Amino acid sequence: MIEMTIHGRGGQGGVTLAKLIATSYFLRGGFTQAFGVYAAERSGAPLAAFVRIDSEEILNHNQVRTPDHVIVLDRTLIGPNIAFGMKEGGWIILNAPEPPEAFAKQFGGRRVAAIDATSLALVHSLGTKSVPIVNTAMLGAVLKVLGEPWEAAAAALSDLKFGGANVEVAREAFDKVRRVLLTGKPHAAAPPAERPPPLDILDERIGAPSPIRTGSWATRSPHRRQMLSPCSNACPAGNDIQGFVRALNESDPDEALAILLESSPLPGVCGRVCPAPCMNACNRTLFDEPVQIRELERFAAEHGRRPDAIQPGRDERIAVVGSGPAGLSAAYHLARLGYRVTIYEGGSELGGLLRTGIPAYRLPPDVLDRDIDFILSHGVTVERDRYVDRAQLLDLSHRYNAVFVGTGLQQVRSMDLGAADGDRVLEGIDFLDRVRHGDLSLAGERVIVIGGGNTAIDAARSALRAGAKKVRILYRRSRAQMPAIAEEITEALEEGVVIEELVAPLHVRRGPRVPDGEQAETLLTCVRMRLGPRDAGGRMTAVEMVTEDSRFDVACDRVILALGQGSDLSILPEGAEIRDRDHLLGLSGAPIYLGGDFATNDGTVAAAIGSGRRAAWQIHKTLTGENLRPAELPRVAGYEHMHMHVFTQAPARHAAHRDARQRRRTFEEVRLGLAESEGPAEAGRCLSCGVCNECDRCVTHCPEGILRRDGDGYRFDYDYCKGCGICAAQCPRGVIYMAEL
Amino acid sequence: MPRVLVTGNYAAGRTLAMAGEANRRGLGCAAGAYPITPQTEIVEVLSAFDFTKGRVVPVESEHSAMAVCIGAALAGARAFTASSANGLAYMTENVFAAGYYRLPIVLIAVNRTLGPPWNIWVDQGDSLALRDAAWIQFYTESHQDLVDTILLAFRVAEDRRIHLPVLVAMDGFVISHTQMPVDLPTQDEVDRYLPLGNVPHRLRTDHPATVGGLTWPRETAHMRHEIQEAMDRVPAVLAEAIDAFEAVFGRRPGGPLVTLHTDDADTIVIGCNTIVRTLRRIIEARRGTGERIGMINCRMFRPFPREALRRAVASARRVAVLDRNHSPGSGGIFWQEVAASLRGRSDLLLQNYVVGLGGGDVTPDVIDRVLADLSGRTREAEPVWEEVAL
Repeated sequence: MIEMTIHGRGGQGGVTLAKLIATSYFLRGGFTQAFGVYAAERSGAPLAAFVRIDSEEILNHNQVRTPDHVIVLDRTLIGPNIAFGMKEGGWIILNAPEPPEAFAKQFGGRRVAAIDATSLALVHSLGTKSVPIVNTAMLGAVLKVLGEPWEAAAAALSDLKFGGANVEVAREAFDKVRRVLLTGKPHAAAPPAERPPPLDILDERIGAPSPIRTGSWATRSPHRRQMLSPCSNACPAGNDIQGFVRALNESDPDEALAILLESSPLPGVCGRVCPAPCMNACNRTLFDEPVQIRELERFAAEHGRRPDAIQPGRDERIAVVGSGPAGLSAAYHLARLGYRVTIYEGGSELGGLLRTGIPAYRLPPDVLDRDIDFILSHGVTVERDRYVDRAQLLDLSHRYNAVFVGTGLQQVRSMDLGAADGDRVLEGIDFLDRVRHGDLSLAGERVIVIGGGNTAIDAARSALRAGAKKVRILYRRSRAQMPAIAEEITEALEEGVVIEELVAPLHVRRGPRVPDGEQAETLLTCVRMRLGPRDAGGRMTAVEMVTEDSRFDVACDRVILALGQGSDLSILPEGAEIRDRDHLLGLSGAPIYLGGDFATNDGTVAAAIGSGRRAAWQIHKTLTGENLRPAELPRVAGYEHMHMHVFTQAPARHAAHRDARQRRRTFEEVRLGLAESEGPAEAGRCLSCGVCNECDRCVTHCPEGILRRDGDGYRFDYDYCKGCGICAAQCPRGVIYMAEL
Repeated sequence: MPRVLVTGNYAAGRTLAMAGEANRRGLGCAAGAYPITPQTEIVEVLSAFDFTKGRVVPVESEHSAMAVCIGAALAGARAFTASSANGLAYMTENVFAAGYYRLPIVLIAVNRTLGPPWNIWVDQGDSLALRDAAWIQFYTESHQDLVDTILLAFRVAEDRRIHLPVLVAMDGFVISHTQMPVDLPTQDEVDRYLPLGNVPHRLRTDHPATVGGLTWPRETAHMRHEIQEAMDRVPAVLAEAIDAFEAVFGRRPGGPLVTLHTDDADTIVIGCNTIVRTLRRIIEARRGTGERIGMINCRMFRPFPREALRRAVASARRVAVLDRNHSPGSGGIFWQEVAASLRGRSDLLLQNYVVGLGGGDVTPDVIDRVLADLSGRTREAEPVWEEVAL
């Protein structure tokens, strides 16, 4: 009787190899037996299979203990104890990339054959990369080594319905297997490690880890990574949104505000006027509706206590030109780094566009004041009514260690509508500032606003509040293309503003004189437009229509132009060269950095805050060499990383609004914010995408009990982890992932 | 009769299916099917079979699998199923019902250790727990023995003198998952061997009746006694079935007991299942050196062949019973039956050995140790436990 032992891993096809070998002899009239040692084990576990071949009926049913030949399917299982109990003169047949001579140390004095069956299987795509099925290749090698003809292998393969690649690899292995009698004296192989004595079921030691290191079965293993939540990724200011929302959910508004103030000094402002790209990115958007992050930021600013301000401790002095959001952000972050900062503001009030361009019903001045006061409390000094031109900028660069320029968009984009007298045609920005000061009444007027951005909407709604009888917005594209914040558009419509889409102004003229001596009305000639192809930036263009009735007059009392603004580059000294859009080269003084809309024209407060913060890092790096900019961004947790089945749908809590009829004639704030009890509840809707919030779901679902809490994190015991992947499948937020070994 | 290299499960599944198919000109066949390791391949083979008149009914539990068999058999169909370990335990209520209803159902028990602790390997505790369920029980030693015994089982179960269900056991994995050569019958041979099924008390719409309704003690005792009388007739009916088998297949399966060198043996080892095959080589080898040693393969456990056993050990002075099972508080279950059969043999040293529990690999070494222990004994002792590593 010939006995063989096959060592392999679950999934490699060891039992089938036993059957193939047995079949090759059975088909030629032999008595054979093929079986495996079965256990409740998964792919990758080491297991043994056996073959017996005889010329008479085989009576033994026990496992093979003294094999004639030993076959090893997995390189990692090759060790001296596979030869334990082997009879003399038999073959050790290995799946290994090395030549058989390489095993002289382990198997000296024995007959050893080797074939790289794994490579053959991979080349022919048999099995998977982690568990290639090598049995058919090994059949060819085994039968060749045992001196059998190729036809014996071919017949067995055919009998068990193996064809194609399986036959090819068997033939290749049959031809390529290398055999050698290793020099040296056979030494007795060590017996397999003995198992410890069984435990008593009533023994309190029950529960200790199994002596079998089941981690060796794994073909992949779980790991943890923190990803960037999509909201934080989308925030131009760089806010840790998941972090502050989590603090709110834990009813800690102080901590929430502290987290926000790490990146943005203007949470009261952003909590009201930010277009909230974070909410567009929120993974809940695809599930029910986004977490109301903007309202939560406002909630944190209103309910959290601001921490004590850091006072300057360094000698370097920095000048910041402009006190809009970019300048304020740069000043704040520089002050927190210990620099002595002086803000130069051309007007008498701080805040830039936040002050002059955003109406009080959206951003009450006291809210802005609170945010600014906190910034100034960091030892920041202010020079008011100090308009800085190019000569003064040069001067500043010689008096300070660095200068930041964040003067925003001073250049108003306008259009010439022809003859118009006095205040009949106004610039939106000027209009808003005058309304703010209460020195302009539109009582009973019909007002036309031209434009589709936030300034247009602000101007239209402010006109209503300044007493206008009727307000119409003319926009050259359609509403869907308006760059203004969608909610603001909706609120404007609620208040009675009318939007005329696909209309562009051409010119104004005086209407016929009216008999009672009142001022004559203004006629605005317009042209109807249609949407054309997209431009290079992907935006729909607007094209004039040329039909007979495409031109028409609109009678009105006043026209407000809100066509946008651009940077006023006249402040830049001669000979200066802008590099990377954010700093100047070619000057003799201290470095000058540029930021905010002046440099980037991103158009949002949040972007300006982020720009000011980056400039602060840049200045700090220039002055000290220390790089504060975070390393490369980690992966963003998208919807595809989330396991949404874990969550239940829950409607968002929305902030209350003042009624449209009530609010349209007053500059009182429109939105009233979330009630005190609703903030933490709305924060509780956050899924904490990509960021572990220690929910313990992985621990509860680990069937092996090898995953446990370790301080603030978790620890996998890789000695026993079989790589089942349940923890990764159950992690709601994509923190746990599986990696092939 | 084609010889094939297949697993025990495959051989059993094909044989069951052909037995069912053989009733296609009668009232057909049905199997309630529910998988459990190591029996699952049988359910797969049955499910893949294209029955002319009959079907495999997938159910949600072993309890229902046997319920399907009971319903089918009560309707006159040939019914069969298979299970293991905790599946058999869950099936038990209906296993008793099938016995007491006198339904000729055939159940393949792929022996597996009852858990906990969880264990999938061979141990006869699962089928022996059903010993009082009014079922005939066979324990088979090889693929061929398994196939042949399944065919005998239908023949005996459906005999009008018997009408009892039959359990046919095999070693989990050692037979069920091991590929060995076996002569599988052809459908034509099975058709010739198995007459069309007959259930005299089957439910019929033209003759409404209640089967298994409420009875008084006297009726109940009477029906129990009828079962005993039917059990008493099994050896004779089995002998006829073996004769008929030989006429069709040309080979002769074993009877209730298969003896080897017992005639003049002073030492006899009793066992069953694959252990007796390992044992057989050792007995032959020891005979070669002049030892007066013999063995008995106890193929049939219910009815227990007491009389045949007494005759077979007439010459012996030492008898060892190897049990791959254990009844806590007593000992090996075959040993209990053997001891009861040999009451009065005060000249005999009868020793029980509990071996291979939980799937322990019973190697020739283990049996040599048992024989050494037996020959050194001067008196009987409590059952000896041989600890065997898997």
